[in-house]
Amino acid sequence: MVERRVLIINRLGLHARAAAQLVRMANSYQSMLRLERLDGSASADAKSILSVLMLAAARGTELRLAAEGADEREAIGALCELFACGFGETEV
Amino acid sequence: MRERVRTVAKKEERWRGLSVSDGVVVGRVLRIHTGTRQIYRTSLDEADVARETRRFRAAVRLARRQLLAVKARAERELGPDHAYIFDAHLLMLEDRKLLDEVEDYIRRERANAEWAIKVASDRLLAVYSEIKDDYLRERGSDIEDVAQRLLVALSGERPVSRQLTQESVIVAEDLLPSAMAELDLTNARAIATDGGGWTSHMAIIARGLGIPAVVGLRDLYRRARTGDEIIVDALSGEIILYPSRQTIASYQAIATRERLTAPATPADEERTSALRTRDGVEITLSANVELPAEYEGVKKYGARGIGLYRSEFLMAKRGRLPSEEEQREAYLEVARLAGEDGATVRLFDLGGDKMGGLEPETERNPALGLRAIRFSLTHEEVLRSQARAIFRAASEGRLDVVLPMISDTTDVKRARRIIDEERAKLEQEGCEIGPLRVGAMIEVPAAVWVADKLAREVDFFSLGTNDLVQYLLAVDRGNDEVAEWFRSLHPAVLQSISHTIEAARAASIPAVVCGEMAATPAYAVLLVGLGATKLSMNPSAIPRVRRVISGIKFKDAEEIARKSLTCESADEVEELVRVRFARLWPDLFPPETLPAPKVRE
Repeated sequence: MVERRVLIINRLGLHARAAAQLVRMANSYQSMLRLERLDGSASADAKSILSVLMLAAARGTELRLAAEGADEREAIGALCELFACGFGETEV
Repeated sequence: MRERVRTVAKKEERWRGLSVSDGVVVGRVLRIHTGTRQIYRTSLDEADVARETRRFRAAVRLARRQLLAVKARAERELGPDHAYIFDAHLLMLEDRKLLDEVEDYIRRERANAEWAIKVASDRLLAVYSEIKDDYLRERGSDIEDVAQRLLVALSGERPVSRQLTQESVIVAEDLLPSAMAELDLTNARAIATDGGGWTSHMAIIARGLGIPAVVGLRDLYRRARTGDEIIVDALSGEIILYPSRQTIASYQAIATRERLTAPATPADEERTSALRTRDGVEITLSANVELPAEYEGVKKYGARGIGLYRSEFLMAKRGRLPSEEEQREAYLEVARLAGEDGATVRLFDLGGDKMGGLEPETERNPALGLRAIRFSLTHEEVLRSQARAIFRAASEGRLDVVLPMISDTTDVKRARRIIDEERAKLEQEGCEIGPLRVGAMIEVPAAVWVADKLAREVDFFSLGTNDLVQYLLAVDRGNDEVAEWFRSLHPAVLQSISHTIEAARAASIPAVVCGEMAATPAYAVLLVGLGATKLSMNPSAIPRVRRVISGIKFKDAEEIARKSLTCESADEVEELVRVRFARLWPDLFPPETLPAPKVRE
């Protein structure tokens, strides 16, 4: 299992568009992917949009991303990139 | 999916309705279904459970196909930025969290798929409603949307997309306040409805936003399909479905000209200087507002404050009672917008046709039922939290409050006692509060007859002419079958207004006329003639009313108004207005701005 911390930098946080991008990407990997608030108050299956939206992660939230499975390294790398670029939103 | 194949161009079809907000638009139909869907629970036999699960899965597949098509079209027509929301909806339809929950429920409870969807989505929504971040919490509406789409798929009906494109012409049977709140009307080009009237809620909002609207179209909703080309000519009240190329070309020319000649934003000086008649009587024009989208017009059109803020919209928007804090913020925003001239908050006019869902039982005669002040006095906690919110907001801006649907001094005294109690409590709690003046809406005919007594109990009057006309003439303002009996210029209406203004003057309190009458130039002049010096109207009407008032002499208006009080029918008043206005002020009142002559067969 691999773990990394990610920070949400885009203006609207993990809203519908960002969550959709994240979930689409997560579903292209076999590994189990989980997101968790650092204080452990909430966690989500990164392959379920309803679950990701319920994290209610606003801008500035830091999350722990964990991947476990055959392609865990590729998966975590790709997802971290998505967070780092603010989900490609121009308005960050 | 039932998709009509169009191999031959359709023949033009025309409808004639009542134009309630001017303008000409060439666009495409967006049908909005506004009926609420009632979900019932059915218990299934064990043997039917597997079939119900298959029925649910088929609905998911159908909804998915529809969404893929909608998404592709949105990407093509609006660009990827607008299509992402459908991607989120698609992912929700694929989400095991939702699908498993529904299927488990069907199996475990032997429930029908509709009920299982309702239970599962309600449960998700409950979790979402806890989210603190406003924007993220809003995503709950996406779940509702997806659930709705599944329910429609199960029912076999065609789906309705709430997505408004640049050229959307909203076509609906009727648009209820809650549906209006849900739509992002700033993107709508025009509205056409089967029902409704000049003073229906939708019409008021459409005028406020400057969106052309035609009502009373009977069966347009049934005949039009989303995506059909449509022309809305709200100058003549005509709707043309499947217009020919030539028709479109001629209307596009009109639409362009309309834009060029539309009342431009007045110059600063004209906007802010005091308005006087030619013989020096000062008249104040303020704004009626409700939707945040209308706020912009307050400054733009030079309103002197907000004469009527319809607070119940806060409720329509949320579908529940807004909290004291949410209300305080909303009222403060309104007060800031109004500036030093201040804003008058009308207490929730809930009940009747404006029910926000607090009392689901339907009344047999809602317009005469538990609404407005009667509702607030019955549900005291509603009045208390609203009064507190207004007091608190008034510490930072100028606010007044007006009590709707008052019928005598008992209503006023009861409401004032509660308002005073909340003031005392707030003071005890050490809250910052501001001074409030309390006024009465004069809209129930009974109040007119005791106006002199009411004037001693309140700080001002607001004349709500829409309801006054409706109640005085016993005409449902939303029913186009009786539209010809809704006559704002009925002598009884004018006498009631005159009597109320006199009572206010005798008691030295101000009276503001804030119904739709004030927004119609010819009527506004008559109101001025009856002694009204403060008129409140939708912001976009201010420039044209201002123009006519600055061009007339008060003594002429007064003379015609006095004469109108002695007329025997609305027809006679209209004739008087038509003849006298055309003679005195031909430049200000071209024939189309005056009441049309009656054609008798």
